[in-house]
Amino acid sequence: MSQESGLDKALRELDPTTRREFFRRAAALGITATAANTLFLRNPLIVTAAPSAKQGGMVRVMGHQEVASLSPDDDEPSVQWVMVTQIHNALLEVNEYLVIEKVLAENYTVAKDGLQYTFKLRQGVKWHDGSEFTADDVKYTYEYYMNPANAANKAIRFANVAKVDTPDKSTVVVTMKEPFAPFLVITATEFILNAKYHSRVGEKAYKSRPMGTGPFKLRDWRPAEYTIVDAFDQHFRGRPKIDAFREDVVPEASVRAIALRSGASDSATWPLLAEDNLRFETDPHYVVFRTSSTGVNHFPINNRLPQLADKRVRQAMMHAIDRQRLIDDVFKGTAIIAHSIYPPSMRPWYDRGVKTYAYDQARARSLLEEAGWRMGPGNVRVKDGQRLSFTCAVITGDRARRPEAEIVQQDLAAVGIEMRIVERPVASILAQLSKGELDASLFNWTYNSGATEPDPQSTLKTGGVRNFAGYSNPRMDDLLAQGLREVDVKKRAKIYSEVQKIFVEDVPVLYVMYWDWFNVFTKRIKGLPTKPEEAFAIYRNAYKWWIE
Amino acid sequence: MQRYIAVRLAQGLVVILLVSIGTFVMLHVIPGDPVSLMIGQAPASQEQIDLIRKKWGLDRPLPEQYVTWVGRMLLGDFGQSVVRSGMPVRTMIAEAASVTITLNLIAFVISILIAVPAGLFAAVRRYSAFDYAVMVGTTVGVALPNFWIGLMLIVIFSLVLRWLPPFGLGSWQGYVLPVTVIVVGQLALLARLMRSATLDNLGEDFVRTARAKGLRESGVVIRHVVRNALLPIVTVIGYRLAFILSGTIVVETVFAVPGLGMLFVESVNRVDYQVVQAIVMVLSILVILGNLATDLVYGLIDPRIRIG
Repeated sequence: MSQESGLDKALRELDPTTRREFFRRAAALGITATAANTLFLRNPLIVTAAPSAKQGGMVRVMGHQEVASLSPDDDEPSVQWVMVTQIHNALLEVNEYLVIEKVLAENYTVAKDGLQYTFKLRQGVKWHDGSEFTADDVKYTYEYYMNPANAANKAIRFANVAKVDTPDKSTVVVTMKEPFAPFLVITATEFILNAKYHSRVGEKAYKSRPMGTGPFKLRDWRPAEYTIVDAFDQHFRGRPKIDAFREDVVPEASVRAIALRSGASDSATWPLLAEDNLRFETDPHYVVFRTSSTGVNHFPINNRLPQLADKRVRQAMMHAIDRQRLIDDVFKGTAIIAHSIYPPSMRPWYDRGVKTYAYDQARARSLLEEAGWRMGPGNVRVKDGQRLSFTCAVITGDRARRPEAEIVQQDLAAVGIEMRIVERPVASILAQLSKGELDASLFNWTYNSGATEPDPQSTLKTGGVRNFAGYSNPRMDDLLAQGLREVDVKKRAKIYSEVQKIFVEDVPVLYVMYWDWFNVFTKRIKGLPTKPEEAFAIYRNAYKWWIE
Repeated sequence: MQRYIAVRLAQGLVVILLVSIGTFVMLHVIPGDPVSLMIGQAPASQEQIDLIRKKWGLDRPLPEQYVTWVGRMLLGDFGQSVVRSGMPVRTMIAEAASVTITLNLIAFVISILIAVPAGLFAAVRRYSAFDYAVMVGTTVGVALPNFWIGLMLIVIFSLVLRWLPPFGLGSWQGYVLPVTVIVVGQLALLARLMRSATLDNLGEDFVRTARAKGLRESGVVIRHVVRNALLPIVTVIGYRLAFILSGTIVVETVFAVPGLGMLFVESVNRVDYQVVQAIVMVLSILVILGNLATDLVYGLIDPRIRIG
């Protein structure tokens, strides 16, 4: 069999999917990237829907909390992002395979020194009001976020931008104050606002009346109930196959599962209970995507406390906790052990070579002895009159993680460490932890900047806004600053590899596991990706879906 | 009478002022910050957070924030939510309250229509099969958590029979299950109350007198007993007026009903100061007016109670 016919066969097997998945399969068949590229260009079927795709119908998905705003500036909560992304487009967007897609930008170039980005814009893109998308809109959007008077949530993503020029209608040149490596994935991926419309209605009104270039335009918004968008006929990638897309607010996980079973809804953007997820996974009437979360399930612990200041104590705790048992018993196997601040799915940043902490209570005991902690009264270790004891504040009513804390409590007690458990509201925990007013807590948080960007600035830098552990290491601070400035991916990867080495050595927080993220779809939705790597990005493809 | 109402209203104003101070202080003493919560896990710097706090006036001293808030409140401006920032709090409350009120009024009318006759009949035919059925039924109704009843109803009617939608109030069918759950809970309370009040009255002297003067039993019950037995029911209705607006949080959560209870709980969780404060204010005003109305209605039902 020749290479080419092998490839054609592979292509025929593919569902409508993206370039990345194609390349992966092509690589598996032993074809070089250039050969595959040529063939890819000759085989557009993998980016367009199958000819049998049906027109019409409404896709209904469910989120778990209210859609409080439809403005791109408020798209941090995932339920909001799911709707904002239907209405808006960015210059570049990261797709469900973690690949950067050119959307409003047709092409871009990056200056060698990383100080200038030039975007060539796509022609003939229409706004929902029929007007044409131009470079002025991009300039307006960037300048809106850069202006401190607007106090935008997204401001920090534009902090390194010095100026935005528009030499002509379809060219944007962004000049940086200093190189900012994450620019393409965290700045250029911000949704573009319509200069005329946004400046006229103002951000406050925009939150309920957005207008973008996206495949869908707003029909009805009831924040605590549902949001519906209709297909936009003049969308530049073609009118979506479905007529409408709707997100309902359904707070109760078991009700979301029932709605999927009864056919009242097509997908749950926010996961169900672990047992429901697993049941849907084995049910042929549903398509279930299982991806890894990028936030780590962890115990932030106050490194400034005398009893937790020695890294050997923190290392001992890592050895003392039976993490596999937590995953199996509490989370029914739907998680993987964390070995770094990045899950293994975060290629190319995850360093497979970092030191790991096996469950080994003997090793934990000897580390504690080495650090001078001797067994004291009540089976709690003591050193210089200080008991090895701290309090962990779990989130009030957190039914998933409270049992996890209780098992860890037993594991730690077995090596002579006392962990008391109290409950506190999440707002209090976040406010008090970084000020050092709490000893420890338990929740999931990203020690990176999303699935494609490794920067852990706010969590690991000395004085970072989300530095829950009060962790401070000058070498780490140095590396984090370098990492933001280094534009070369290979050199950058080296920097973050060292960041991970220091992190696992210092153990500023007890990192436990990465939860599996489940997205359930009913079989009637077609045009879904084959093996997505990022859960929420699946929903930005609603314009490619059709209903059978 | 008018003087009485004026005095009660003046007392009410003092109570509302105290409630406003209490709510404000309590909310601001709890550690937590809506801005920090809103930014979530996105990258952020301290300067940026400070800028956003300033935008919302959260950087001002607390007494100043309080005065600004009360001042606006007096002008009918309930303030601004930090989370749902594109909409005034007044609109948020009005939308959520109308949903909750509709749901609860339907449930309340149905409950009373069933509970009053059922309780009355159970008392008149004490120790009959019907009486036992009412007692057992209401005991079960009180004992079962409404959360569980809600989920079971969804399983039966949405999943197995597929007659009704599992969530939402998009159509009249959507109201059936949430209303049923609320009715089950209230029915138990009201029917038992009606039954015991009727029993109490049946043992009274005026009943013996009425019977002695030759009234038929049905006349005794309808003309004399019912009117007196309704008094405690009216008290409960008065009390429940505020509860009606905030007391169906669980039902709202299970059936994804965008009501006031859910708005309140969510706003407390995300420390959305102005929303929580405004809801507490609205509820306390309603409690005060509800109590006043209850006292006035007493006078109408029972002429022995004189107001003034």
